[in-house]
Amino acid sequence: MDELEVLKREWQTRDQEFPKLSSREIYPMLLRKSSSLVKWIFYISIAELVLWTSLAFVAPESSKQINEAMGLKTTLLVVSIIGYVITFIFIYLFYKNYRSIKVTDSIKNLMGNILRTRKTVRYFVFYNIGAAILLLTFTNIYYYSKKETLYATFAKYSEDYAAIPPESFTTVFFTAQIIVGVLLVVLLVIFYRLVYGILLRRLKRNYKELKKIEV
Amino acid sequence: MTKELEHSFVAQLEENQNIVHKICRLYTNDGEAHNDLFQEITIQLWKAYPKFRGDSKFSTWMYRVALNTAITLYRKSKRRVQTQDYEGVSFKITAEAYDDTVEEQLKLMYKAVKNLNDIDKALVFLYLEDKSYREIAETLGISEVNARVKMNRIKDKLRKILNP
Repeated sequence: MDELEVLKREWQTRDQEFPKLSSREIYPMLLRKSSSLVKWIFYISIAELVLWTSLAFVAPESSKQINEAMGLKTTLLVVSIIGYVITFIFIYLFYKNYRSIKVTDSIKNLMGNILRTRKTVRYFVFYNIGAAILLLTFTNIYYYSKKETLYATFAKYSEDYAAIPPESFTTVFFTAQIIVGVLLVVLLVIFYRLVYGILLRRLKRNYKELKKIEV
Repeated sequence: MTKELEHSFVAQLEENQNIVHKICRLYTNDGEAHNDLFQEITIQLWKAYPKFRGDSKFSTWMYRVALNTAITLYRKSKRRVQTQDYEGVSFKITAEAYDDTVEEQLKLMYKAVKNLNDIDKALVFLYLEDKSYREIAETLGISEVNARVKMNRIKDKLRKILNP
């Protein structure tokens, strides 16, 4: 007989030394909280969905007045309605994928479902960043085409801006917009690399390993 | 009802706890992590238990949940220092006559299996537990043919380790 078969038989017949837990010791274990990966992913995903959805509400009052003065009110209203519809679609997809995670599934399906759930949230974040970039670009182009009105409006609402001479206002304003925009995107990318990388490194590696078997 | 469910679950887990212990030992490196993983597997088993319909054996169902937890759901605590304090696995010898070389080879093989990646480890573990290829394939979510091919490759690798 093959020696591996001998070992297999030995593996089954010999007892390995393990602590033997009594039912008295097992009962309290049922009450403890799980600290599984899925739980972490769930909390982080919910936090992301809430964060990005709530960002829309924190726009200061003055920026609303400025947009109104610049004639962007209707456009922005339409944009935000579309935004809410898309957000709801994402939340629905996230919920659907999350529900499909089952510990009794095969190893491959379980991993696939977790990755899909995470991906939904990741696309949601990408969508938000993309939409923010597009929105900023277009409003800034629009602002640029109406420089004079812009300066007049800003000078009216903010004393800081009123202190800047009209000649340099355009340069100061748009440079500031660009710097803040780039900084924000860089911070977000770093943040996602960290959270996503740490949490899913092992899962991704194992999923790849499983896929390799199937080739 | 809940109490009844709890009783039958705990009784079955107590009876089959060795399966969970074996998985814990294969996937962790020290006693503390072992207990941690055992705890997490117990929670996952308990959460899934109400849906366990008994159309498969409790132990079969257990393999799946326990392996899923060990491979995918369990988060190793980063603060823990990696120790190797239970490298030397001891097998209780039940038969009076035993062969030293078999004992040595068992240990050697155990070490080799521990060094495999998470997925291969699951494959070998189920094989050692005398699961059919169909069951192995179903647990992992791959085809039976692929499970066989992969297992044969791992076997060759293990044989080389046992006969250097």
